[in-house]
Amino acid sequence: MRFIDWLDERLAIRQLIRIMMTEYYVPKNINFLWSFGVLIVLMLVILIISGLFLLMYYKPDANLAFDSVNKTIMMDVAFGWIFRHVHAVGASIMFLVLFIHMARGIYYGSYKPPREIVWITGYILFILMSATAFTGYLLPWGQMSYWAAQTITTLFEKIPVIGPDLVIWIRGHFIVEDPTLTRFFALHVVFLPLLLIVFTAIHLYAVRIVGSNNEDGEPIPKEEKKKKGIPFWPVFMAKEFFVMTVFLTFFFFLVFFHYEFAMDPINFIPADKLQTPPHIYPEWYFLAFYEVLRGFFFSQNLGLIAFVLSMFIAMFLPWLDRSPIVSGKHRPLFQIAFWIFVIDFVFLTVLGKLPPTGLYAWLGLIGSIVFFGFFLSLPIISKIERKQLERGGDKQ
Amino acid sequence: MKELKILAVLVVIVLVGYIGIEPYAKHVMHGTIPPPDFSYLDLPKFEPVGDPKKGRELFKANCSSCHSLKADGIEAGMDKKTAELSFHVVPPDLSNVATIIESHFLANFIRDPQTATKNPKFAMPPMGYLTNDQIGNIIAYLKSTAKKELTGKEILHDACTRCHSVKYQKIPAETSQEHLKIYLGKIPPDLSLMGRAKEHEYLITFINNPQVLLPGTTMPRLGLTKEATETLVAYLDKIADPYKEQRKKIGIWVLIYMFIGVVLTYAWKRKIWKNIH
Repeated sequence: MRFIDWLDERLAIRQLIRIMMTEYYVPKNINFLWSFGVLIVLMLVILIISGLFLLMYYKPDANLAFDSVNKTIMMDVAFGWIFRHVHAVGASIMFLVLFIHMARGIYYGSYKPPREIVWITGYILFILMSATAFTGYLLPWGQMSYWAAQTITTLFEKIPVIGPDLVIWIRGHFIVEDPTLTRFFALHVVFLPLLLIVFTAIHLYAVRIVGSNNEDGEPIPKEEKKKKGIPFWPVFMAKEFFVMTVFLTFFFFLVFFHYEFAMDPINFIPADKLQTPPHIYPEWYFLAFYEVLRGFFFSQNLGLIAFVLSMFIAMFLPWLDRSPIVSGKHRPLFQIAFWIFVIDFVFLTVLGKLPPTGLYAWLGLIGSIVFFGFFLSLPIISKIERKQLERGGDKQ
Repeated sequence: MKELKILAVLVVIVLVGYIGIEPYAKHVMHGTIPPPDFSYLDLPKFEPVGDPKKGRELFKANCSSCHSLKADGIEAGMDKKTAELSFHVVPPDLSNVATIIESHFLANFIRDPQTATKNPKFAMPPMGYLTNDQIGNIIAYLKSTAKKELTGKEILHDACTRCHSVKYQKIPAETSQEHLKIYLGKIPPDLSLMGRAKEHEYLITFINNPQVLLPGTTMPRLGLTKEATETLVAYLDKIADPYKEQRKKIGIWVLIYMFIGVVLTYAWKRKIWKNIH
């Protein structure tokens, strides 16, 4: 008896491969943007492996952390620097891939029925990934690590009633200190990665149930799946591997030759609680949301509400946009709104790093309003499109 | 074709964002770094000339109570501990000082250290009572003892480590922390990673004239020559990023490997997708 038969009898491995791979059909009319989901899984694996090796030498202690990263890992451990570069650049690129994956989902209407759960679990994954990145950024205990954590944790102070106590609870101290480092460490290396894996599983399971969306947003009935689709293995994955290698070439180019954007020079100065750096900014992937926070410069409370809203509002897309037309490809009005939103997001990201003074402050306010404008325009666009459809129906 | 168009849109968006948050934002935040000025011509013109033999006697009479000159077997009259207690900083050995410090600056420095260094609390007292000829003789003597070629590490030792530690190279600051705090108001930063924390050009200009980039800093202007500054900063860059060469070498091999991967996966994709339309 061959081993595979032996395994098949006990684990139904052939059936599993059929269901998950060879007879799982992906629509034909999709472009390479649909490869980004697997790229995210790839990045997650790269981050977990590189993180594991960093974990072997990292010391979660305010007195030791900086040296354990910058001396032990970067200088003493053989090739330790590769793992740090991969981990730091990997975290940054993970967000680039996430943003593209999400933008694709928005443009082609992948959040619409029946894919609401896919969208929501995906969005939860984005929030979890943000939390992982934020907690991880504190660990090298450099100047920007410290002051970014100090600034962001201070935000919780504004929450009514429990705010001030909550901040102390989060930090484990009155300021960001050793207890903050150790609890962020615990969250970063155990709790958040576990949740990430669990939600990735749910996300992928949900995709397997409802199937991938496609460029035209047309639902594919079960009977037509074979005709209108391509099997996940080997056809889809053949293309995926090609996209993956191109992506990895770009990724390793950044890791070895162009990593400064992910490893801020100022973070090579040890954390100093007595010396505030002249400019404090989060990593680039939070800049747009950070700019929404600063955008309402005349009211801290309003800014904070806007910030929280900006982080979560996209989760409610399935209910904001109820147009029966799924794909943005067939929605001229939506396309206008979408591209304004994309440009605005890049605009906010750039503004987020600039000093919030003078003209920049006002531009930030405009950018923030446009950001929410996109989400508020969706119910209106839906209504117009519904009417157009009804009128079109009358004519027939 | 359509996919290439999508890729082009992606590349443009990413590039615009990148240029905005990196080069542009950095330019707005830090401005441009002014170029260094190694002529030190803000100080009165003073080209020292003189006789090293007379200089030796003058050195022994005026300098050696605090400074040693080990290259010529001259020990300081005061031990380091006493000097530290008196000045809150350890005086340097002057064997190679004439090689690393620009001579016009050095002449002005001896006459009035506080003006030359732009640090009103600089520890060395002004030697205004020396005539220009005497200063010329002393500098001629210092030039005669100095090694002509110094490594980055030697310059670091002569110019920086009295106040700065470099702990990843196991170099402690020669002056104790408590005295440095009195002398400079704070403990000066460790230099182990300065080469990564600051740009090359920033370090050159900062060492050349600290007040230009960090007004009010207690770091004195040292008057290093162009060569000494460049050798020193190259050394700081190297110790902060010791695997730069290795990184480039491995990086190229990884990219070659990935490129082969791109070709192979593309060939496989073509094969599998041949009959799919």
